[in-house]
Amino acid sequence: MKIAFVGHYLRLLASSMLLVFSVVVIMFLLLELAPGDPIQGLVGQMPVTDEFRASMVEAYGLDRPIHERFIAYVANVATGNLGYSYANQASVGGLIVDRLGNTLLLTVPALVLSSVAGIVLGAIAARTRSRRVDGALSFTAIAGFSVPSFWLGLLLILIFASMLGWLPAQGMSSYTSTGVSIRHMVLPVIALAVTETAFKLRVMRSSMIEVLGQDYIDTARSKGLTGNQVLWRHGILNSMLPMVSVIGYSTGFTLAGSVLVEKVFGWPGMGLLLYESIQRSENMVVMGVLLVIAVTVVVVNILTDVVYGIVDPRVRARLHRARSA
Amino acid sequence: MSTTPTSRQVETGDGAERPAHAESPRAVAATGDGAVSLSPPAARRTSNSLLRRFFRRPMAVVFAAFLVATAVACFVGPFFAHPPNAARFEVLQGPSAAHPMGTDPLGRDLLARVLAGGQVSLIVGISVAVLCLTIAIVVGGFAGYYGGLADTLLMKVAELFQVVPAIILALVVAAMLGSSMTMIIFILSFTMWPQVARIVRVESMKVAELGYVESARTVGFGSLRIFFSDVLPNAMPPVLVATTMTVGRAILLESGLAFLGLGDANTPSWGALLNTAQSHIQTAWWLTFFPGLAIFLVVLSTNMLGDMLNDTLNPTLSRVK
Repeated sequence: MKIAFVGHYLRLLASSMLLVFSVVVIMFLLLELAPGDPIQGLVGQMPVTDEFRASMVEAYGLDRPIHERFIAYVANVATGNLGYSYANQASVGGLIVDRLGNTLLLTVPALVLSSVAGIVLGAIAARTRSRRVDGALSFTAIAGFSVPSFWLGLLLILIFASMLGWLPAQGMSSYTSTGVSIRHMVLPVIALAVTETAFKLRVMRSSMIEVLGQDYIDTARSKGLTGNQVLWRHGILNSMLPMVSVIGYSTGFTLAGSVLVEKVFGWPGMGLLLYESIQRSENMVVMGVLLVIAVTVVVVNILTDVVYGIVDPRVRARLHRARSA
Repeated sequence: MSTTPTSRQVETGDGAERPAHAESPRAVAATGDGAVSLSPPAARRTSNSLLRRFFRRPMAVVFAAFLVATAVACFVGPFFAHPPNAARFEVLQGPSAAHPMGTDPLGRDLLARVLAGGQVSLIVGISVAVLCLTIAIVVGGFAGYYGGLADTLLMKVAELFQVVPAIILALVVAAMLGSSMTMIIFILSFTMWPQVARIVRVESMKVAELGYVESARTVGFGSLRIFFSDVLPNAMPPVLVATTMTVGRAILLESGLAFLGLGDANTPSWGALLNTAQSHIQTAWWLTFFPGLAIFLVVLSTNMLGDMLNDTLNPTLSRVK
């Protein structure tokens, strides 16, 4: 049984690495396809010294044929060398790691908030005997993922910062202090969480409806449990299984959404870095952010798979059967 | 079994909405009487009553009417509104009878700009959905129907696009290769087609297992002929739902890109209007409110229509026990 697990996770690891490699290939192709001077394309609209130019030609093999350029590029990425940001005077890798922390300050609370809210509201929508409550929640969910997150952020600023003056509109903390303040986090986290909550609500609702139609629910009812007991003991946990993959899946979306939300709230995270780098057409940083997001999503996917194996005995059993068969 | 003659189905079929479907009824009719009874009537017969059942829902009529009205307003309205680029009014005026959505910092009428911007958003949304549907039918359909290497390859590609969120990939590609409207349409289709293709794949896989496909094969029809006349039309309903939702998602993504400054600067879409609105958020709420409301309502309408279409197709699926 141990060996089956190891084999499964090795395969998963191999296919994950293949995915990351494909992303690197796409990045290389984009760099090749991008019009204009490749060095200016990499460092953006910045005057560069001849020495820097020569070092770039050397590092990326720009004077050599395409297959050698590709090998040079892959070698650079594989050794963790994502390049040097001329505009920020820092290595791209270090720059992104610095900003990634700030992004996680938004995305992790948004993920937690949307997961809890999605599960609770989805369960209510599926369980309620009132068509009106279910209908209202389902409509709100569709509205939730129809609203552009950045517009929602702008509206929140308009209402809670400009009109009511309750919460700050920009940045991580007030000018006089450093670090991060909770008050500054409220609005961006909400703007980020709404869409995800809506998706999770829908998944949870349909999963719960399916679970409530199962035979073991009828069994639980017929042995005398009340509706709420059935819901909490048998319904919630079983219908939360698909939520594991949905939460994993939504990590990528939340990271992506944070680009827009960070721009709205001037939050100095990876998304704002991406935005600034696009404005400067500093493609080395743009590529770096793309790679970091792809790797993050791949890692989360692996984690999701592992968690699935832990929480769902059926997945373990299937692995076991596959091995003995 | 239905005894409805095929010729009538041809007349009543909504060929315009189903690109692949359009060629199948004619092919069936051409093969003569023997073949007619073999082809499954399900898809063609339901397609018509499906639309009727669909529009029996009052909300479906409301949202569809709203979308049509918006499209008419955006494409016909500019002939009657102020020119969107004429800076001839007092700057930053709030909404009034003369300017229902106010004026922008350069003294241009915001309503005119929202209508003109809507053209971009709608063209992008619909073109992306049509392109996605086309690629998805070809790639997803063949992968699901024939299986094998094509199928494995498609699933790998789809997985790749799941790893990189659509907006990030679109953002990076647009930043590097340019962001004209045509470019944006191609980029969004390129990043969004795998989602639709997965659904086409699953559906054509299911249909390929069914009895009438088996029968058609027994009679000796070529696999391509079976694919277009039997498999594809019957796989379409869930694909149509996904395509409807794609319109909304494409408009959302386009507005996100435009908000980040990636779009055609000469024809600002709704997202681009919001980009300029942010610096005036303290003084001019209308600049932020109206373009965003337009995005929200249009995307909401397409999503609601898609959702209701889904309910019409699977009436038992979402019913609470």
